[in-house]
Amino acid sequence: MPLVSGRHPLRRLVPYLFALVVVAITVASAFLLPWLFPHASRSLLFLTGVLVVAARSSLGPSLLASFLSFLAFNYFFTEPVHTFKVADDGDVTTLAFFLLVSAISGNLASRMRQEMAERRASLERLSQLYAFSRRLASAVGADEVLDALTDQLALLPGSPPGAIRIFLLATGEVPPGISPPREVRRRGDERALAPAEVQAVWKRRSPEPVHLGLWLFLPLSTDRGAIGLVALADIQDAERRESARNLCDQAAVALDRTRLVTDLAGARLAAETEQLRAALLSSVSHDLRTPLAAIIGSATSLLEYGEAFSAADRRDLLTTVANEAQHLDRHIQNLLDMTRLGQGTLQLKRDWVDLRDLIAGALARLTEVLAGLAVEVRISPEVPLLWVHGTLIEQALVNLLDNAAKFSPAGGRIAIQAERDGQEVVIDLRDQGPGIPEAERERIFDMFYSVSRGDRANRTGSGLGLAICRGMIAAHGGQILALPGEAGWGTCMRLSLPLVNAEITPPPEGTP
Amino acid sequence: MTTPAETLLIVEDEAQIRKFVRISLEAQGYQVLEARLGEEGLATCLASPPHLVILDLGLPDLDGMDFIRRLRAWSTLPILVLSVRASETEKIQALDAGANDYVTKPFGIGELMARIRVLLRKEERRATPSAQFSFPGLRVDLARREVEVDGTAVSLSRKEFALLSLLVASQGQVLTHDRILREVWGAGHQEDTHYLRVLVGNLRQKLGDDPMRPRFILTVQGVGYRLAV
Repeated sequence: MPLVSGRHPLRRLVPYLFALVVVAITVASAFLLPWLFPHASRSLLFLTGVLVVAARSSLGPSLLASFLSFLAFNYFFTEPVHTFKVADDGDVTTLAFFLLVSAISGNLASRMRQEMAERRASLERLSQLYAFSRRLASAVGADEVLDALTDQLALLPGSPPGAIRIFLLATGEVPPGISPPREVRRRGDERALAPAEVQAVWKRRSPEPVHLGLWLFLPLSTDRGAIGLVALADIQDAERRESARNLCDQAAVALDRTRLVTDLAGARLAAETEQLRAALLSSVSHDLRTPLAAIIGSATSLLEYGEAFSAADRRDLLTTVANEAQHLDRHIQNLLDMTRLGQGTLQLKRDWVDLRDLIAGALARLTEVLAGLAVEVRISPEVPLLWVHGTLIEQALVNLLDNAAKFSPAGGRIAIQAERDGQEVVIDLRDQGPGIPEAERERIFDMFYSVSRGDRANRTGSGLGLAICRGMIAAHGGQILALPGEAGWGTCMRLSLPLVNAEITPPPEGTP
Repeated sequence: MTTPAETLLIVEDEAQIRKFVRISLEAQGYQVLEARLGEEGLATCLASPPHLVILDLGLPDLDGMDFIRRLRAWSTLPILVLSVRASETEKIQALDAGANDYVTKPFGIGELMARIRVLLRKEERRATPSAQFSFPGLRVDLARREVEVDGTAVSLSRKEFALLSLLVASQGQVLTHDRILREVWGAGHQEDTHYLRVLVGNLRQKLGDDPMRPRFILTVQGVGYRLAV
């Protein structure tokens, strides 16, 4: 480790102390030398000591070492011994050599060490920068970029800024740049930075760093213009300013990229919403018009030719009007439900409800639809009262039954079975329809899928029904699955509801 | 079979609905008064009191609840409310405010007629009170606390009988959960609907009433119960 580093004043003396110690050791060795190596030259030994000091420290200590070495050599080993007198010219030459060698080697060593230190520092800076750009590259959001930038600025080589503030424009603002950027990051001390100052610098739109008092302002600029501002306290020298500026430029590019990603995602969502809206609109108008066509047709037929019709025909047509109108009413109920689900304004009004009542209610509402089908209901006595919003569950059952009836062959059987399974109630609804291909079993609950598919030939309706079903069941924490029916025939819709509050067993009649 | 002299007032701003209701009611032998606005309706009630008011809750000039409260301030004449489906709360509020029953729009005329008949019959009953009630398959004697289903005597617990008498006395008029809980269990049990569900289950069982196809006790989801008549 270099002995020159360190900021403490006493630590600066360490190399000189080192020089003293080395010279002392050299002197001691020089006394021992004649016994160990009779032919070796003492002056070379002293020279080695000087070189050791020069290699480990800088010019000053090595000069000190060479001077001390000369004095010691002169005092202890040259004639006359124990005086500083120089009797021989050769000794003077030795002194000159000592000084020269120590000057050259000390200089060389200190330069080498300085270079090494610099190289190490620049390597460190490089790896930091590398880590920084890696962080920027992997950042998916503006937040991560800003975090990386703040961290990196706080590591600015030399002395880091006393305070860091980052200001950024809000994303998606149209037109951009109307309102000033808002502070999004703050680090370091809490010294004052007046919003007016930030505002003033921002208005200048300078592409170059701006010094204002203790603060250095750096723009975060992209191809699309400035998107923010970085304020650093105590950065006055050009070198650190440039480093900071580099970091800011890199961060600005990364910010721009994350913003583009956000914009793109937004645009895609908007496009999808638009597509869904269009599909919905066309499906809804189709679903509303189909029953209306039957109603208008039947009603006008009766108006025009009613007298010519037989009583049975008249009754038939009127039944059509009434049934189709009810069909229309169900569609509208579905649309309303969907809107409530979509807006998230659906509020559960839970109450104790008997599942039998819900199934009976759903069957009663679908009397016309279910006419001609055999409906079997089996409810296990284990099924307790449910703590649910009754009308919503009833609506879900209506939609499922309506769907089952649509796909049932004439005279088909629909079986409803409810059982308790641990902490939930499972309701199976089986039909004898054509079944659902495995690939579609999950997708039929997807509003967009069923709507956009628009399977008109089978008169499947808008397909909103199942999506609403799932929404209502999900609101209760339950789930609904489409499973293959028995023996590969038909479909089994499995609806499971968690038994909330099930531990509160209703007391037997008349307790309170 | 109806008393031709009975007069009904329909307060409804939709001309189309007024029209078909009036035509059907007149065909059934009722006399029909019409009002487009709430204030008009209240004025008619004062000037020539009808036997029953059919009230649309969505009036342009007056909140339906206000209409009911103002009428109830001086009159007990039966009110049948027409409400849109969306809100159970609205129906319950109307019933609490003093309406006797409701029909959800859109409604079939059959349903409306049934409700009207129930309310008018009940009015008639009030004039000549009796402790005996007979319905197809069900006979209840309130004074003797006797219940017969298809001619067979059925023994009920105290609360079961209290619930049945309440339903029987209302003769097919809807009873809210709140009201049943209050009258059978007393005040302070308004939240205990699970007691009520269990009690109804037991009562149905004793009456031999299939909950999937109830003959006697009908569930009105989210609102309450009524006797099938």
